[in-house]
Amino acid sequence: MVLLQLFLNGLQLGAIYALTAVGFSLIFGSTKIFHVAHGSAFAIGGYAYWWLATKLNVAWPIATLAAVVAAAAFGLFMEKFIYRPIQRHEAAFFTVFIAAFGVQIIVQNLIGSLVGRGMETVTTTLSRSVEIAPGLFVAPISAISILTAVLIFSALSWFLGRTNVGVAMRALSENPDLVRVFGLDPVRLAQYAFVIGSAVVVPGAIFTAMTAGLNPAIGTHVMLVSLAATIVGGIGSIRGAACGGLLLGLAENLAYWKLDPQWSEAVTFIVLFAFIIFRPSGFFGHPSGAR
Amino acid sequence: MLSKRLAALCGLLAALFAAAPSSAQDTIKIGANLPMSGPNAELGEIFSRAASIAVNHINADKMLSKKLQLVIEDSQATPQGGVVAMNKLIGVEKVPYVLSAYTAVSKAIAPLGDKAKVVSINGGAVGPDLAELGDYFWNVIPLVNFEAEVLIPYVVKEKGLKNIVLIFVDDPLGEAVQKVLRAEVPKAGGTLAGELQIPRAAQQFASVAANVRQLKPDAIYVASFGTQVNQIVKQLRDNGVTQQIISYSAMSTPSIAQLPEAKGAWYTTQSADFTASALGQRVAKEYKELSGKDANAYVANYYNAVMVFGILAQALEKAGKPITGTNLLEQRRAAGTFELVGGKMIFQPNGTVAMPVQIQEIDGTGAGKRIK
Repeated sequence: MVLLQLFLNGLQLGAIYALTAVGFSLIFGSTKIFHVAHGSAFAIGGYAYWWLATKLNVAWPIATLAAVVAAAAFGLFMEKFIYRPIQRHEAAFFTVFIAAFGVQIIVQNLIGSLVGRGMETVTTTLSRSVEIAPGLFVAPISAISILTAVLIFSALSWFLGRTNVGVAMRALSENPDLVRVFGLDPVRLAQYAFVIGSAVVVPGAIFTAMTAGLNPAIGTHVMLVSLAATIVGGIGSIRGAACGGLLLGLAENLAYWKLDPQWSEAVTFIVLFAFIIFRPSGFFGHPSGAR
Repeated sequence: MLSKRLAALCGLLAALFAAAPSSAQDTIKIGANLPMSGPNAELGEIFSRAASIAVNHINADKMLSKKLQLVIEDSQATPQGGVVAMNKLIGVEKVPYVLSAYTAVSKAIAPLGDKAKVVSINGGAVGPDLAELGDYFWNVIPLVNFEAEVLIPYVVKEKGLKNIVLIFVDDPLGEAVQKVLRAEVPKAGGTLAGELQIPRAAQQFASVAANVRQLKPDAIYVASFGTQVNQIVKQLRDNGVTQQIISYSAMSTPSIAQLPEAKGAWYTTQSADFTASALGQRVAKEYKELSGKDANAYVANYYNAVMVFGILAQALEKAGKPITGTNLLEQRRAAGTFELVGGKMIFQPNGTVAMPVQIQEIDGTGAGKRIK
């Protein structure tokens, strides 16, 4: 029963990690921009929902929509006003990294100044576990997280595989010049990637606000998980990021079965190192790093 | 274009210099090595606000010949961050006195202060070994062994909660609490039924809750700090752990006081009665105006920590002595008693203070309810 409990906990956490990582993977896969400030989109989305739902008592669908708009707007802002000007002048990887890192610190401090530096949670009965069998506790939010993750990945897969814009976004990562030859605008496509990639992080942020709580510094942890899941899944692969997030969530929780709790986070990095050493291209990545 | 940019840059620099604080000759500087960012920034904000109120009082009351200035550096509650901040405060800012917090940070910076003969004073960390960090490390907060000596007999003997599970963070504070509980719980007639060590950066505790349920304790002692305490408490309750939660002074934060899942939890903290004196009332009122929140023991501690400096520095100036760490130490040893928020404070020879400890229950009102 304990193993089943840990497995279910891992599935829920894995779903949240997958929802978090897939946006980063989409952005990096399409644009090759190492969007370190992805964790800030998570924080902005989560705090926007928290503020609307708990402070203004806005209905959850409207609060969710507003949070999606806020995160997407942040993604668009990053592309238009941070990454594009840098790339226009220099396009050095390290410059982009530092700029994004700086934005993450600014966002962290802005949130801290505006809403305080303590933990904020969205109180809901959905996060309260009930005993469905002796010793087995499950909260409604577990099923909701897993279902949401499945829906979002299905929608994203359809979008990237079956729509012209989606196919063009995939092509952007392969050959931006060829995209231009076909009369498509790489800048516009990059903006789509940032908007969608930032928006899909919001469900994970809302579930985190309901289960573990938010704090202004949460973006750093989110980024770490996103990066690990992206490497494990295969850089640039949406499917890989989803599987990577799920695997990390499961590994982190299943570790409790035989190991002491202090090993739970180390297991994440053991999985990561194992992939780097034995399968550097991850689950679904190509050896070259391209999709 | 270039000249316009150059002019704009010069203008910006001029504005920055104009806005900069008074020069070193016009001020006496003290440092604060506090967590101002990251998951522990809520406490850093409380500490720094309390310290700034004391600085304002010292300046308003003209206790010193020059204006007192508080230089705050961000330790991020990590030993590495604390050491970088301490080096800057000692080497660049040349301060004789530094406010410290967090056991791991305090232990990391203490040797630097000792070597440079700069006083570090702690008002937030409670690891018992902070009493052994040398002459230049002082504490204005009772350490966790004093807190456990009050809480554990109450929980085990008076409330009959004999089986206790400890969830403790993987750092010097957590390990210190582990050591204290291993001694105190059996002494009170209880059993330490389990010890679950968690990483400092961990945020997910659903599976820790599953472990706790397996151990079937009567009470769970949470030994962590910052946001992590809130996360543990929330996730224990969300994941079917209904037993009594107990902790130490790290639970006296506004965010945990508002956490519905924390209602009913017991924690120890030093007695800090702000109503007992005009000074306490003044500090509590100004803190409320500044933060919108009620003052807690941490506010008293960091206010007192700065006031101790003000009183000692004032005495040194009167005696015509320079304000150095060595002279501050000598003066503290000679001073005896300090009349501060919460009453009389007497330093022990090892730089700690003995203060009465109380047990609070989180009741959803913010300030909480004193139960012992």
